[in-house]
Amino acid sequence: MSRTFLFRYETVLALLTVLALATLAMLSAKFFTTENLLNQGRLMSEVGLIMLAMTFVIVTGGIDLSVGSILGMTAILLGVFWQKVGMPLPAAIVAAMLCGTLAGLGNGLIITRFKVPPLIATLATLALYRGLAEGISQARSVRGYPEWFFFFGQGEVLGVPVQLWILVICTVIAAVILARTPFGRATYAIGANETAAHFSGIRVDATKLWIYTAAGFLASLAAVIFVSRVTTTRSDMGTGIELDVITGVVLGGTSIFGGKGTIIGTVIGLVLIQALKNGLALSGVKGDGTIVVIGVVLIGAVLAGALLDRDRGGS
Amino acid sequence: MNRLTLTIALGFGLMAGPAMAASGWTGGDDLPTSPLACDGTPAAAAAKPYDGGSPTNAPNRAGKKITVVDIPKLIGIGYFNATSKGIADAAKELGNVDAKTDGPTKANIDEQITFIDNYITSGVDGILFAANDPVAIAPVLKKALSKGINVVGYDANSSPDARQWFVNQAQFNGIAKSLIDNMAKEIGEDGSFAIVTSTFTTPNQARWIAEMAAYQAKCHPKMKWLETVEAQEDNTLSFNQATTLINKYGDQLKGIFGMTSVATPASAEAVTQTKKCGSIAVVGLATPNAMKPYVKSGCVKSVVLWNPVDLGYAAAHVLRAVVDGTLKPGATSVKAGKLGDLQVINGSEILLGAPTTFSKDNINNFDF
Amino acid sequence: MTDAVLSRAPAGSPSRSPVQRFLAGYGQELIVGLAVIVLFAGVSIVNPRFLSDTNINSIIAGNAYIAVAAVGMSMVIICGHIDLSVGSLIGVIATVAGTLAVSGYPVWVAWLLPILMAIAINASVGAFIAYTRIPSIVVTLGMLSILKGGLISATGGAWISDLPPGFMIAQMRPFGIPSAVYFMVVLTLLAAWFIANTDFGWSIYAVGGNSEAARAAGISPERVTVGVFALHGLFTGIAGILFATQLQVIQSTVPPNLELTVITAAVIGGVSILGGTGTVIGSTLAAILFATIGSALIFLNVSAYWLRAVLGLMILATVLADMIRRRRAT
Repeated sequence: MSRTFLFRYETVLALLTVLALATLAMLSAKFFTTENLLNQGRLMSEVGLIMLAMTFVIVTGGIDLSVGSILGMTAILLGVFWQKVGMPLPAAIVAAMLCGTLAGLGNGLIITRFKVPPLIATLATLALYRGLAEGISQARSVRGYPEWFFFFGQGEVLGVPVQLWILVICTVIAAVILARTPFGRATYAIGANETAAHFSGIRVDATKLWIYTAAGFLASLAAVIFVSRVTTTRSDMGTGIELDVITGVVLGGTSIFGGKGTIIGTVIGLVLIQALKNGLALSGVKGDGTIVVIGVVLIGAVLAGALLDRDRGGS
Repeated sequence: MNRLTLTIALGFGLMAGPAMAASGWTGGDDLPTSPLACDGTPAAAAAKPYDGGSPTNAPNRAGKKITVVDIPKLIGIGYFNATSKGIADAAKELGNVDAKTDGPTKANIDEQITFIDNYITSGVDGILFAANDPVAIAPVLKKALSKGINVVGYDANSSPDARQWFVNQAQFNGIAKSLIDNMAKEIGEDGSFAIVTSTFTTPNQARWIAEMAAYQAKCHPKMKWLETVEAQEDNTLSFNQATTLINKYGDQLKGIFGMTSVATPASAEAVTQTKKCGSIAVVGLATPNAMKPYVKSGCVKSVVLWNPVDLGYAAAHVLRAVVDGTLKPGATSVKAGKLGDLQVINGSEILLGAPTTFSKDNINNFDF
Repeated sequence: MTDAVLSRAPAGSPSRSPVQRFLAGYGQELIVGLAVIVLFAGVSIVNPRFLSDTNINSIIAGNAYIAVAAVGMSMVIICGHIDLSVGSLIGVIATVAGTLAVSGYPVWVAWLLPILMAIAINASVGAFIAYTRIPSIVVTLGMLSILKGGLISATGGAWISDLPPGFMIAQMRPFGIPSAVYFMVVLTLLAAWFIANTDFGWSIYAVGGNSEAARAAGISPERVTVGVFALHGLFTGIAGILFATQLQVIQSTVPPNLELTVITAAVIGGVSILGGTGTVIGSTLAAILFATIGSALIFLNVSAYWLRAVLGLMILATVLADMIRRRRAT
């Protein structure tokens, strides 16, 4: 059942995306220009990186609401390590990302060792990590970074924004892992039936630990890119990003129940949402209208997916 | 069991450690302050050279119709509804400005940057903004300037080289003096007060609190600051925080400062509901509509605010003047429609003028 | 979510005394209740004003609307679903109620019409979820955006003031106790009784535990889903009215983070996110616990910059405590 159905949903979604792109291009001449598309690629990289990890998380049947807080905490630590502690900037970047990754590991430990359901665990760490960001920074921003640092968020290689390259590379890696490696197969198995996966010898806890740690890692990478893009750190960075990420992943065909989902689907979901946000704005729709449209698209797409599933006799 | 004990111990440890409150008022920033003279002598305005940015290869739009977008910190609160109205009024008056307000639904710098970016792409002629963060917004505003778009800020500044002009509602130290003086008048020279602010990371509020601390230390040294609490831009949270403060300090609390247009009415509500009208003074920044019930009941004597409608109105006029070339770097004043001549200060800032005090006598004349 | 299986301890084990069974069955509620008491006692040592009736009143009455919403949410979660749009709906209900009130409609219209609206909206959402089989987290995530965007489009966040005094139900005080408290207590007890003692109540647990087994037993999961969402709509509507009438002005926006607070209260109160277990009393206690913590941290002079970290730590500690308790109980 799985393979063919997935293929069908992603195809429908891809068609829908192409349709949306065409419509938006008709509504505004400024939409389908290379410059705008590359710029949107730049803007969607941070959310996109986190979506890659979130795909794995949701495929296992879990969820991670704390990614935004990890982003904020990493951003703050970057500034603190560089300015207060006095580390050289490259070391500060590595140290901050290490902390973000450890935060993800923390999520994983709470979920696997203490058996706390992921929704609750990450609801708690959402508050905790954000609180740590606020407390450590004492609400101060750190600014005045050297020019070279802005390369990640504002620079280009061969005309394509740096973070878009990073996103593409990470996407390829993630896609290969999920679709072609034993680790990826284990991920699907855990999502489909965790007990059965356990009994067939899959190291469920270890797999989950890796996945939540990866979520922390990608959130911290997104944080570095974000700080580089806006040249300052704030403790409220990344607030609310988790809902955007989940919307994109679910739109891309990943089932909230676990066991189904692909990276390519997530990427299409990401592109569709970014295109809508940008294209609608360019056609004159205001912010509140865009929010409504995205809500409707989400429900509509998942509905379409469910109906397709019904046709094929899925449960 | 061990893990549980560890967690609880960690929890208490975390509480006990930073329970020693930081020195200085919570909520202020650490930039240098410049308190005004206690007796109201205006500070000597040192002339500064123009330090604003300038657009690259801006097309000559003088006299032509321009499309302008206004991107405040967030939409959906009374204050920015008022500035938006001011901009719309100016646009109608000028006749050749097509203005629209759009923005994020919460005060979030990332979303605001995305909005600005989209409008740059869509090719507007001018951008008006109120920044959620002065440094974070600079790259995208500089991008706008590099595309030949005219950029003017109001209410919350960006770094100077990212915009051409900034319409300042009032000097930070002027607002601080106004607020502290009003409070001292109501609660006396040795009264104790608390502050309800939005968040500690909001630049304007942080600046005001820092300046208030400096001014109070200089001119009303016996007044006592008790505490600052955060309440975002949420009415109910501000109310709950203010009520908690009233309950915590009991008779010791004589006054509450509301640092946002949401915190002040909520604090007034808290004072009303705990039946402390008359024993706790509420002084703060707020829009008249939100304060009407409290001013009418006499619970709040006066509300200080510049007129946000005028602020938006002035910003739109300044943008038009910039586009038409009548306002150039080095100017010392600019004509802003019915507001008359506004003074240029600090190189590239335009001062709106004296704050308005809303009281029982005049509050019904305003509808924002 | 197909995570590790959590279940309440099997109550029929012969080696367990009645006390042990009670603890196993209601342990979470006891922990939360105990935490509230300990917190009140502890903080009032530091600052006796914590126990003053104005403070207790503002903690409980001021947050009663969250408890009411959490009761509805608990039932939804027990049934195996979740509702992320509750915050947005409360914002909408409050705005509609306030607008009706200042437009001259009779007070009871301003109270009842929004509640009916909430029931209708939520029942429709429930029907959608039930008959399309789309996960509730997705549908309500979409509804969150639709309601929020719609509200801002319609009102621009304008303040609603000049509310008629007869409308302000949350501020009325029959026998000196704020009406919000009555609502909270009565609704919680009613819901608890309803869930434990009626067929429909049992069917909520059944569908939440295993919907196919429930269907085999003759229960229609679809009808139950619609019903539980409609009930949830009733509670959300009442919470919205309480929320609207607390202050003399209504800010017609969506209160930020309200859905997370309500969900956290329901979950900390002992409702298992996997569905099938939990009670509504726990969620009310948890809502009170959060409000108490929020106030306590200010009374204890915890540095304002660390408030949220401490709150997060406390949520974590409560959850871990419950997990450890469950593991020892099995």
